[in-house]
Amino acid sequence: MNSVEVLYNSVMLAIKGVSIEVPYGGMVALLGSNGAGKSTTLKAISGLLSAERGKVSRGEIRFDGRVIGDNPPQQRVGLGICHVIEGRRVFEHLTPDENLEAAAPMSLSRTRVASEKARIYDYFPRLAERKSSLAGYLSGGEQQMLAIGRALMTQPRLLMLDEPSLGLAPFLVAEIFEIIKRINRDHGLSVLLVEQNALAALDIVSRGYLIENGRVVMHDTAERLKANSDIQEFYLGGSQAKSFHDIKHYRRRKRWLS
Amino acid sequence: MDIAYVSELAVNGALTGLLYSLFALGLVLIYKSSSVPNLAQGALTMLAAYVVLALSRQLGFPLWLAIAVTTIIMFLAGFGVEKVTLRRMAGRPIVMILMMTLGLDIFIRGSTLAVWGGTSRSMELGVSYDPLFLGPLLLSRINLAGACVAIALFVAFLLFFRTRRGIRLRAISDDYVASWSIGISVEHGVALSWGMASVVAVASAVIWGEIQGVDQSLSQLLLKGLTVAVLGGLDSIVGAILAGIVLGVIENVGSSYLDLVVGGGSRDLIVAAVLIFTVMLRPHGLFGRHDIERV
Amino acid sequence: MFYPLAGVRHQSYVSDSKLFPVPTDRNLLIVLTVAAIAAPFLLSSLYLNSYVQPWLIWTALALGLNLATGWAGQLHLGYAATMAVGAYAAVHAARFGIPWEFALLIGGLAASLIGSLFAFAALRVKGLYLAIVTLAMQFVMDWVLNHSPAISGGSHASLQSPRFALLGQEIASGRGLYYVALGWCALVTVFMMNLQRTALGRALVAVREKDYAAAILGVNSFYYKLIAFSMCSFIGGIGGALLVATFFFLAAPEQFSVNVSIQVLAMIIVGGLGSIIGTYFGVALILLMPGIANEIIANLTSFLGLPLGNETLAHIPTTVYGALIIIFLLVEPLGLGKLYANIRDYFLVWPFDQFKK
Repeated sequence: MNSVEVLYNSVMLAIKGVSIEVPYGGMVALLGSNGAGKSTTLKAISGLLSAERGKVSRGEIRFDGRVIGDNPPQQRVGLGICHVIEGRRVFEHLTPDENLEAAAPMSLSRTRVASEKARIYDYFPRLAERKSSLAGYLSGGEQQMLAIGRALMTQPRLLMLDEPSLGLAPFLVAEIFEIIKRINRDHGLSVLLVEQNALAALDIVSRGYLIENGRVVMHDTAERLKANSDIQEFYLGGSQAKSFHDIKHYRRRKRWLS
Repeated sequence: MDIAYVSELAVNGALTGLLYSLFALGLVLIYKSSSVPNLAQGALTMLAAYVVLALSRQLGFPLWLAIAVTTIIMFLAGFGVEKVTLRRMAGRPIVMILMMTLGLDIFIRGSTLAVWGGTSRSMELGVSYDPLFLGPLLLSRINLAGACVAIALFVAFLLFFRTRRGIRLRAISDDYVASWSIGISVEHGVALSWGMASVVAVASAVIWGEIQGVDQSLSQLLLKGLTVAVLGGLDSIVGAILAGIVLGVIENVGSSYLDLVVGGGSRDLIVAAVLIFTVMLRPHGLFGRHDIERV
Repeated sequence: MFYPLAGVRHQSYVSDSKLFPVPTDRNLLIVLTVAAIAAPFLLSSLYLNSYVQPWLIWTALALGLNLATGWAGQLHLGYAATMAVGAYAAVHAARFGIPWEFALLIGGLAASLIGSLFAFAALRVKGLYLAIVTLAMQFVMDWVLNHSPAISGGSHASLQSPRFALLGQEIASGRGLYYVALGWCALVTVFMMNLQRTALGRALVAVREKDYAAAILGVNSFYYKLIAFSMCSFIGGIGGALLVATFFFLAAPEQFSVNVSIQVLAMIIVGGLGSIIGTYFGVALILLMPGIANEIIANLTSFLGLPLGNETLAHIPTTVYGALIIIFLLVEPLGLGKLYANIRDYFLVWPFDQFKK
């Protein structure tokens, strides 16, 4: 995507000229604090902005060389872009099995659907155990797995994950990230990951973008980002405690914002 | 009053109740997919009845063909109504959506009557009016036939919601943003449910048209249908069936006693009372889902 | 409408929350008031008593519903029921020999008593379910009116209203009745305008926006819902009584059927929820438009030589009325009030709006 701007309600400029690129089979993380515009960026790509009265007012979004800015979300899913939205949002009144079935494209044959489901259960054995209880009664981690599995049913080539670690215990986060990595390796699926938990995210991705106030302020490989002292300080929790005496220091460091 | 009389009332009430359920099914289908209470369902039913009559009387179609053609017309009409009007209301406050369905109700009712006139006419299905004797019970043939149609439709819809397309519709009713994110065309699904509700309207139009004649009173079934739908839980098909039977029995038995006290016409009162008590005591009805709260 | 805002600067909250923050608004209203008082001498009595007077009475009624639905956000499909309570209570009281001033008051109080029942429904449910309950209550009221001759007045189910009188002065002339309607409508309007500026009005809005959030802030949402419903019903009750006393001269159950509830709701939605000026426009449109459209269509068809059946003509107003609601909801969901505000805002900066960018 190239210098994209997003307007909400034709008034609020949420992201201003963000350009990011996800290579085939690559894993890219989008980092930033609350309200930086990470989720908006994902929604611009998946087309879910229209559900919130937002629209892309400038720039273009390309997928596979095709401009997809005007396609409705269901067409983008057909092209192979799937967005796992924030906060899990599984279909609570359906069973996990039905959740997966709902996501399978109508063009798939019955046997294909069954084999796809088997593949998902293979990745997430916990889901297979709870196949027929209502999804609303699953635990948070299981719901997140279901949401990812559901997205995989749509046969995506680009999977976008919006804060998969939200509200989950660290060991579950590790488990889920491990599975994401495995899927990426096995199928050459491109992954765009939005995370607040920068440390965990930078461990599995190859490149990262840092967004602040609707702008990309830094992008680099994961190793170099991890090594960057600013990132360490502001997003990785800081290696050493800073005292407020250094407040001037702080200002100087965050100069990229303006 | 002896037990035979009461049971006869109850059985006939249950049969009539199933016909209310048939009407309520249309409401449930739409509510299930889009959480819109379609107050225009009565007007749609009335329109369907008039279209059947127009096809069979004015164009001389045989009745079965007229009904079949009406089914197609109404499916498209329901589809279109949703696309033109309610699509753009998505996400608006409920008062606006309710008002839109009320506006549709008034508009459809007004234009139907403007085209075909308000004098009552009969459907003439050819079902005989002789009562049917089942042991000691007297049953009305048309009610029995209607109840069979209703049950057949219910089974069909219950099966439909187990197919993949049906699961997708249920997914839409659960969370439409999430449905969107995995490539389900929410617009299409909601329009489809309107189409199906309009088809249900044809079935209830034919049967109710036979029972009480084709005129404006068909649109007044709305109160009873709404009561059944709410009692059943608004989004539950099984709930609608059982609630219809319950309401039919309460109404038939209750009114036969209450009429003696208040001097007739207590049916509507009973229905309204059931509606009020349901909403006040158990808003999600007998079988409605309450949102799952995980502890 | 055509005036600049330049030079109007408020330096304190008190001056900003005055009834008319912009002096021109007040002057405009004075002109309108003078016009309204002079209207009987300018308009023929046909227009005055069959268009302007009902418009004023219905506006007062619609403002009452707007209080509950527009301000406090409580969906109310049983407004006609409270109007009926007010009307029948007042007419019975007047027939009993009570002077009209007190009869109206009795009507209003009776209506607000019954109307408060709706608030108890609102305590338990909201949104769609509240609409359904109020609708059901409306049906119950319809039934009671139709089945109790003691209330509705014998076998013909119509109740003659005694001659209207205020302060011992009998009012029978068209002009007199017009002034009564005007006075009542002005009273309700001023009340509503002031309500916006008070803590009560703000509390109602808070309840509308998010009742539990309001509760967290210490706004007792049940108390305010109760107030909203009882005030709305009070206005509705007196309005219903005036409608019978000065316009229909006769109370009949079908004047207060569920269709009337829907009609009043349509008026405030077409006018704009929570907008006073919009209510005036909305009532005018819903009340007058179907008739006008019917005239036009009848003239058009006779002009084109297309004969339309009586039955068709009889149902065209309903069709137009339904279409109006649909079109408004699609095109301008905030109603005529918003449309007016847009036009005014446009003209506020009119010749200079190109400089803004």
